[in-house]
Amino acid sequence: MTALVATGLAGLVAGGALSAFPGRLAPGLWLQAAGALAFGAAGAWTLCAGGTWGSPFTSALSPGAGIDGLTGVFLVTLALVACPALAFATSYVPATAAGRATGGLGALFLLSLIGVLCARDALSFLFFWELMTLVPAALILTGNASESARHTVFTYVAITHLGGAGTWIALLLLAHEGAIGNPTAIREGSGAQAVIAVAAIIGFGTKAGLMPMHAWLPRAHPIAPAHVSAVMSGVMVAVAAYGLIRVLVDWFGPAPAWVGAALLVLGGLSALGGITYALFQRDLKRLLAYSTVEHLGVVALALGACLLLRHHGEGRWAAFALGAALLHTVNHAAFKGLLFLGAGAFERATGSLELDHLGGLLRRLPWSGGAFLVGALAIAGMPLLNGFASEWLTLQALLHVPAYAGVWDGTLGALALAALAVRVAIAVLCFVKVIGLVLLGPPRRSACAAAVEPPAPMRWSLVTLAAACIALGAVPGLLFSRLVLLAPWPGSGEAPLRPGLDLAGTGSLPTVGILVVVSGLTGLLWLARGSRRAAASPTWACGQPAAPQLLWTSAGFSKPLRLVLEAVLRPEREIETTARGGVVQEVSYRGRVPHLIDAHLYRPVTDGALLAASFARRLQSGRLGTYVVYLIGLVLVLLLAVRIGAIG
Amino acid sequence: MSPASAAAAVVEVAGGLALAPLLPGLTQQAKALLQGRRGAGPLQPYRELRRLWGKSGVDVEGTTFAYRLAPVLAAAAMGAAILLVPAAAGAPGLGVGHDALAFAGLLALARLSVCVAAWDTSNGFALQGASRDLTLSVFVEAGLVLSLSVAALVAGTTDLGGIVAGTAGGGPWSTPALALGAVAYALVVVAETGRQPIDNPDTHLELTMIHEGPVLEYAGRDQALLQWSLAARHWIVLVLAAGIFIPHPAGAWWQLCLLPVTLSLLCLALALTETLIAKMRILLVPRLVGVAAAVAVLGIVTWLVEGL
Repeated sequence: MTALVATGLAGLVAGGALSAFPGRLAPGLWLQAAGALAFGAAGAWTLCAGGTWGSPFTSALSPGAGIDGLTGVFLVTLALVACPALAFATSYVPATAAGRATGGLGALFLLSLIGVLCARDALSFLFFWELMTLVPAALILTGNASESARHTVFTYVAITHLGGAGTWIALLLLAHEGAIGNPTAIREGSGAQAVIAVAAIIGFGTKAGLMPMHAWLPRAHPIAPAHVSAVMSGVMVAVAAYGLIRVLVDWFGPAPAWVGAALLVLGGLSALGGITYALFQRDLKRLLAYSTVEHLGVVALALGACLLLRHHGEGRWAAFALGAALLHTVNHAAFKGLLFLGAGAFERATGSLELDHLGGLLRRLPWSGGAFLVGALAIAGMPLLNGFASEWLTLQALLHVPAYAGVWDGTLGALALAALAVRVAIAVLCFVKVIGLVLLGPPRRSACAAAVEPPAPMRWSLVTLAAACIALGAVPGLLFSRLVLLAPWPGSGEAPLRPGLDLAGTGSLPTVGILVVVSGLTGLLWLARGSRRAAASPTWACGQPAAPQLLWTSAGFSKPLRLVLEAVLRPEREIETTARGGVVQEVSYRGRVPHLIDAHLYRPVTDGALLAASFARRLQSGRLGTYVVYLIGLVLVLLLAVRIGAIG
Repeated sequence: MSPASAAAAVVEVAGGLALAPLLPGLTQQAKALLQGRRGAGPLQPYRELRRLWGKSGVDVEGTTFAYRLAPVLAAAAMGAAILLVPAAAGAPGLGVGHDALAFAGLLALARLSVCVAAWDTSNGFALQGASRDLTLSVFVEAGLVLSLSVAALVAGTTDLGGIVAGTAGGGPWSTPALALGAVAYALVVVAETGRQPIDNPDTHLELTMIHEGPVLEYAGRDQALLQWSLAARHWIVLVLAAGIFIPHPAGAWWQLCLLPVTLSLLCLALALTETLIAKMRILLVPRLVGVAAAVAVLGIVTWLVEGL
């Protein structure tokens, strides 16, 4: 173990330093990948063998580092995304000064993520937490220092720091109560527990992009370089989920029911809102970023179910719900990393990621396009792939909330179940659209028609992640049975060590059986159909030639849902008609779906803050006399306060 | 394996594979008779399948393997779903388990493969149908998951075989929870089988198509597979309706004997609604199915309140 950790540390530090030297970028990145892999191996070892490494958790201020099972899961997640992302970066990042800076900062980013996961005391946790927030900001700005990028980074840093205050409060209070690593230190239902729970949900929830604290995420994730986006969306939000699990599940005893209920509400809002707004995005990376909000919502739903079930004394299903949350985090990292890297490859090949201007890439880029197809099917929650397994578990966990949690919590569980079912179907709509617009149909620009496969490291990193999606979908039970054991409460039971998911109270999900039956039937029917085909014909457009102007767009495909949800989404549309002499010459149409949370929550807050600032500015006249008057006034007020006994 | 469960397995597989086309046939025939026409007989779908199987498929220019794979994958997903839906309590697992939520996943897989193929052809009508189908499925999926959840809570498991056993007899019907689930499920049946008032299976006008839209370009054996998939969809959702949401006796033999009767009655009910109710405006359908999903939530709440 110590050797693995030392190798990992050495690889990341040396790799980061090496990649900052001119001409050594690619070897440096490979070295970093080896370091991340060593940490992943250490995590997998701890997860499989049980036990811990390094120092235990402490509420004291002495720094310590260690690895336990929960840290192990997230180290594996980190390696799962970071290794392919770094391999991808060897061909993707240009060997310029900015590229070398990206390489070096990337290593620092990974180290800060590992630092948060391995920290065993409040101060090192918070140190690495802040580093984890600041390094991506620097990473984004080294690649892109335009006005809009700087504005986005400002939004990102502002929101994550305002929200991050919650993390500080939660961690410092926990240390104060002596509760870090000691679930018995905080009494259930005490005021301290309530404050810590609220602070943790705000602090970690902001970083995880839970609605309505998500506003920074869909802005910041898309403008980073593709391999950094993959790590941000796959791992950084997962680390936020780690914080939430560590505080609410590991360091709390049984939490009061309202904590679980709050997570169900926030999770349901994020899951539904995330996918709904993803559907109406025009840029592929922005769509993927909204989908990250959605998936962290699913994780929060599973976690909420876990807390509620535990509160109501159903330890076994609470452990399964925890396993569902963790498994979904791992799965999300795999397919989201794949999709972001794929988006990077497509951007490299075609120059733009606007959804309506891609098309036909599966034919031109069979390897990376095929891998992207697997990722899109996995994220849409199709059976046989990994997304389905963890969504199935989450649905089961939510279904067991009404079964055990009484009327009020049970009703909330049923509503969360409804939200999750709706979300699954919207995700299918959304990613069918993505597959169609990006991979299928005719190329919509000449650059797409001329696109070529990216270099081998980029291609193979995509294929590796696609293989991970398939493998995790085929044998989720092997990982799940380890994850269930991480539940710290007694009576949590265990899931049988089988490839499929075979849990009492469900009809079981024999993933291997379904895989064999569906692929076997597909093969049989394919053979039975034979190869007799008539000559290919053009597509049917009522006898018209299928002109490019007739191609369907992203907005067109999602229009029915937009119309159905009109009352909620309040879409805006503008139609301008230019008529000359009573004859219409030109009609221009513009429509968009405004982001309601931005418009109705953040806009008033920022407007109010700016207004308050403009008032405050009047105090600053710049004249010496004014400041002397302020000083005298302050002294008088203080004297008065002493006089009436308010101070001193 | 007991004789009853072996018989259930035989009915499940043979019925799903061979008898499924009889269900849309029966419905169409009953509809014809109700409308004063003579009808082509309940065996018409078989004749159509034979005719289509003898013809060659047609590829659309510029399509990829997604177009070729879609009918096969849709039929395979339906085949797996047939194995998953038990014909009676105590039916053996045929390698795919018996889970209610896995069932919903397989339906979604079939739908997705056909809609992806619509993008591959980039046919405007196919995409119109696909976007409508997926939009409706947002609400249908919620209705399906929630109505099955009501039954799962009543029976205490999401195992479909367990649900069939757990909802047998008169006991579960003494309270309104299961009935509320049945109301929601009824609309899911209509939507999944693509029947009025949600969709018109007989339409030949591209602009009004929902489920027929995405499969517009297919011919020959591809279309035969797709038509069989639609028939299998009838079989699956109606067998589940008969096994869960229609009062049924407890013994497996009784359930198997009653199955043909219940299925015929359900086909008749579909034909009746098709005759009596006109197709709805497409944008009103989500409201109707959404209300159905809300009714299912109400069913869960009723179940919770009863448990006090």
